[in-house]
Amino acid sequence: MRFEFHDPTGTLEVTQSHAARIDTLAGKRIGFLTNEQWQAHRMLPLLKSLIENDFPGAEVLPIDRFPQGNAEIPTESTTALVKAAEVDAVIVGNAS
Amino acid sequence: MEAEGIPTVTLGRADFVGVFKNAVAGIGLAPAAAMVTFPMPIFLPGSDIAPVQARKQEFYDGLMRWKLDSGAAASERGHMIALDADSYESALTRFNQLAISNLWGDGLPLWLPTRERVDWILRGAPAPESTVLGKMPPRGAVVTVESCAVALAMAGGRPEYLPVLLAAVEAFLDPAMGTDQLQAASGSAFPVVIVNGPIRKQIRLNTGFGCLGPDPQHPAGASIGRALRLMQQNLGGALPGTGAMANYGGMRYTNAVFGEDEEGLPSGWPPHASERHGFSPGTNSISLAFASGAANIRRRSARKETAEEDALQGMYRMADFLRAPNLHCIPGYVDGTPGVLMIPNIVAQRMAELGWTQRSIREFLWEHSKIPMELLKRSGSVSWIEVDSDPVTRASLALDPWPIAAKADNLILVVAGGGHPTNSFWLQGYSPSVAGRRIALPADYDKLLAEADRDLGCGSDACTIG
Repeated sequence: MRFEFHDPTGTLEVTQSHAARIDTLAGKRIGFLTNEQWQAHRMLPLLKSLIENDFPGAEVLPIDRFPQGNAEIPTESTTALVKAAEVDAVIVGNAS
Repeated sequence: MEAEGIPTVTLGRADFVGVFKNAVAGIGLAPAAAMVTFPMPIFLPGSDIAPVQARKQEFYDGLMRWKLDSGAAASERGHMIALDADSYESALTRFNQLAISNLWGDGLPLWLPTRERVDWILRGAPAPESTVLGKMPPRGAVVTVESCAVALAMAGGRPEYLPVLLAAVEAFLDPAMGTDQLQAASGSAFPVVIVNGPIRKQIRLNTGFGCLGPDPQHPAGASIGRALRLMQQNLGGALPGTGAMANYGGMRYTNAVFGEDEEGLPSGWPPHASERHGFSPGTNSISLAFASGAANIRRRSARKETAEEDALQGMYRMADFLRAPNLHCIPGYVDGTPGVLMIPNIVAQRMAELGWTQRSIREFLWEHSKIPMELLKRSGSVSWIEVDSDPVTRASLALDPWPIAAKADNLILVVAGGGHPTNSFWLQGYSPSVAGRRIALPADYDKLLAEADRDLGCGSDACTIG
């Protein structure tokens, strides 16, 4: 006998696309979005210095350039600030 | 940021990948993203962060070379799944095996959500099965009346329960509840659904003895709460340790679904739904808050105290219990709740006879649960208040002693539980808001109730057969 049952996981809609990657970080502006937790205050400045050393002309904005905190990262106002800053890429940390 | 066309890489914990994929899916992207992950120790104070430098190329690649797997790019449609078996018994066994291997269940036996069973549940729907209620965060699967019925079918529910589940799901999806974060958070939040109105008794929802636990006389709360939990996991991706980082996950088999003991309310005491949400008494409704703990409080005095002494001592003991530097109350400091205090009808009656009102009880508890600033500083709680996003919460640091909520009315006080004076019960709040919803019923609801009486017999307070 064949029994049929509903898929318990429902429908997942993909309505948006991921961003295209950039070909180099050299000469690009990079921003941080951080919850200011889980040692982000140590790790993200390290990444800033690494990128600026490895890619000539790269500008990595300070970690406090945009609002910080778990509640602040996903807000429309934060997104608007990031876009207004004309960053080419973003690093988010620390998800933990 | 990805959705805005800005390539993004995330630095996170290794076992946080599921949470992150859920969050990405929840905003409509394919459930994948550029991540560089590390084990937990690097995220702790004083850690060695050299691995970040050693793996710097992975961050660069995340911004310059990361690609989405082609298989992850498409929408996933809910569908019927076929299962071949030589009997229903075999099919049920096989389905429960599949529920374990496919991570659809809670580890306990489930009913098979066949088309027939789900259609039966849908008889309780006040709206078409395709009606969309929203998306279940953080994964973001579409929530429909039908998907609620599927979960309720799996959880052993009945059609007359569906209206309560639908109202609870609507409240759960209210953006003010912060469900997108609570679903994944480590603090083990679970929904508390308080039901008011005649539907409590009609569907055999417990309001009295054992109302937070198993009870064959009142099976509705367990099925409704279990169905909501299954939706949180199956549609929302809140799988323990993968999509839900709740350390302990207490109360999560069935969440907490109970009715207020309206019949036990003292004269002049409005039901919770009227007090908190403004619904007229007698309105079928639910009120949803999140809690992160559940504890019994022994409130009765033991020897020859007078009625006044017994009441006052019990009040102080409950206030003492609330006066913990409980950081879970911070998200709900302004608009949510520090918790749900349940008191039995006999206690409410005696308190009312002594002149207490719901408001005066809340104000007493609020006043006497304030925490000296010295203790907040000693426990490091101050920093959690300082980093809160709400300026009102941050400004509360000027208060000494510090109240556990911005105002006394935030505390939820309900009359529920067995009619015995010794204990009250505290559901520790972790709730940015408290959402209320009216319960809509289908046109032939009385027929469903009569069928329930036929199927289950006339319980002590459920039978509607004349």
